[in-house]
Amino acid sequence: MDLGLKGKKAIVTGSTKGIGRRIVDLLADEGCDVGICSRDAEEVEAAVAELKKKGVNAVGGEVNVRDGDAYKAWLETTAEQLGGCDIFIPNVSAGGGMDSEKNWWKNFEIDVLGTVRGVETLMPHLEKSDAASVVVISSTNAVEFFVGPMAYNAMKAALLNYAKQLSQFVAAKNIRVNSITPGPVYFEGGAWEMIEGTMPDFYKATLKQIPSRRMGSPEEIARVTVFVASPAASVLQGANVVADNGFTKRVQY
Amino acid sequence: MRRNVKDTIVRDYGKLDELRDVKVPRVRPEDSPETPAGKAPDPELGTDTIAHARYYDHEFMKLEWERIWTRVWLLACREDDIPEPGDYVVTEMGPESVLVVRQEDGGVKAFYNVCQHRGNRLRGPGIGSAKTFKCAYHHWEYRLDGSFENIPDLETFPQGAPCRGLEEMRCDTWGSFVWYSFNPEVEPLLDFLDPIPQHLAPYNFDRMALTRDVTIEWDCNWKTSVDAFNESYHVQGIHPQLLWYLDDYNIQIDCYERHNRYLIPFATISPRVKLPPDVPPAIKAIMQEAGMDPADYDGKIKDLRVNIQKFKRKHGADQGKDYSRLNDDQLTDDYHYLIFPNITLNIHADDLMLFRQRPHPTDPDRMYFDVQTYELIPDGEEWPERPEHGQFKHGDKSIGLVLDQDAFNLPTVQQGMHSRGYRGLWIGNQELRIRHFHKVIDDYIYGPDGKPPGAL
Repeated sequence: MDLGLKGKKAIVTGSTKGIGRRIVDLLADEGCDVGICSRDAEEVEAAVAELKKKGVNAVGGEVNVRDGDAYKAWLETTAEQLGGCDIFIPNVSAGGGMDSEKNWWKNFEIDVLGTVRGVETLMPHLEKSDAASVVVISSTNAVEFFVGPMAYNAMKAALLNYAKQLSQFVAAKNIRVNSITPGPVYFEGGAWEMIEGTMPDFYKATLKQIPSRRMGSPEEIARVTVFVASPAASVLQGANVVADNGFTKRVQY
Repeated sequence: MRRNVKDTIVRDYGKLDELRDVKVPRVRPEDSPETPAGKAPDPELGTDTIAHARYYDHEFMKLEWERIWTRVWLLACREDDIPEPGDYVVTEMGPESVLVVRQEDGGVKAFYNVCQHRGNRLRGPGIGSAKTFKCAYHHWEYRLDGSFENIPDLETFPQGAPCRGLEEMRCDTWGSFVWYSFNPEVEPLLDFLDPIPQHLAPYNFDRMALTRDVTIEWDCNWKTSVDAFNESYHVQGIHPQLLWYLDDYNIQIDCYERHNRYLIPFATISPRVKLPPDVPPAIKAIMQEAGMDPADYDGKIKDLRVNIQKFKRKHGADQGKDYSRLNDDQLTDDYHYLIFPNITLNIHADDLMLFRQRPHPTDPDRMYFDVQTYELIPDGEEWPERPEHGQFKHGDKSIGLVLDQDAFNLPTVQQGMHSRGYRGLWIGNQELRIRHFHKVIDDYIYGPDGKPPGAL
């Protein structure tokens, strides 16, 4: 099956490590030019160099997505450097935590506004594309109880709603918008590796809720995400793909 | 209920492919006005194995008693355990019991806790207050300074009263603590402790309040316990959660004449694991303790330690915490000292965790592990009441996850010491302090001529 990604331009935020990194790796493998970012300039530089080895154009920048102006400027520059933008995957997240009200601001600014600002900034480029696709990254925390009343959970739920509303709103412009809802994803340098080491009881209890006793890998989430983002998934519009190894138990009506 | 600490270990962190390349920013020696921060030259201690019989041999235990315990200065208590005249502490050391008494003039004296009549102990272990010390047997009575107050029916002793009352021993104070020595010829306390007083004065331990005071009976030799805290190599083996809390690999080890230390960067991520995406839970606790909101942290994970240092430097004074004598690293890191032979100090700007390792009176396979935690009380805040001393056997109660993990292997290590198949302690560079500790033991036991061939 040809995903139809060759020559397309994709921008993915938070993309030097973990899920974001595997997404850009796979996009590049499929012949996409990619724009990446993270908070760490050295990591960006190293990732760009490796992506270029795949024979595609890769550009990257150090940016804090929380800083709206800097973020928008980076998006503009990146779209310009790539010569457009067909695919946008706002992947970066502030993560979980119930430390203070600041968690709410942080998840709002990074998870929600990081997505909204990205879509709005890149809209002129997406409108011009013949394969425009936005894939929003949510979480199973958005659809089932997890830990407690975390801002992370609520903001990931806001993203699901936003993606659905947006999908109808821009459908006429031939822009597809879909969501991925990953369950727990394990990788070195990921939150679950730290939880495994620092809160082994919680880690093991979570693993028990997964029928296969196995968390997802960035590779697995990336494969689903890249497919959903690709022209091969042209029939998907406003879908939410739950990619969780059976972690959630509800019926997807 | 005590958890099985084995359950806390999910992965093998010592088998990871490679260490992350970490350059720990360390304070420059010239930026550390009081506590020396520079690396001391490593002593040449060779690579020989250390004899495991040292950990169970009764003859060696006897040598330790005769040539170490009765020769050095030993920690008795805190000065504020006995604030008023007549307040006293009884502390046990091996076969002896020591009575430490606050004097009318504010000074402190230490005595063998033994009545000169028929040898009864005057008081049981613990803290108390007395006007005089009256033996519970025939009511021989001693004043706070050890002299006789009363001997019932003195006229029936044709030899009269003993010329002296209680047997006094050397006693002195440093760093808010009271020290004693069985050795009448012992060097002055400050000479014995050198260079510890210079290193640790800036912490002002007298501003810290005791918040925990427990003794656990451990089934191991006292040195097995000292060794357990004299290296950070075990972190990857038994404390996986600490890999997201401290750098167990890039430590600085400094050995002095008889004491030693290592400096462990805290509030950072071990090079054995990748940088996590979020602030680890235990570092969040450090931040909250310092008045920082982890949710408001916008810096990088790898800069957490330095950013916490900066925050504490900036806001400490507002919080009534005077850090002015400490260097930046001391605001986060564990300055970890061994005061020979048996005092382990985990020292932080805001707290001190003190371990005192005491030998069993007769059994080299047993010991007493005293844990005391002290916390810096901000200026103007009321001090908490002194906690009651608790004593129990290993495994009866949790002493916190990290110490439970530390304690877990000690009985089986001690059993292994007895094995005919064990060839002795195979010590690496990360364990240099253990080698140094045993070298100082040799110095005390064998003297300037060194260890004779074949000796333990």
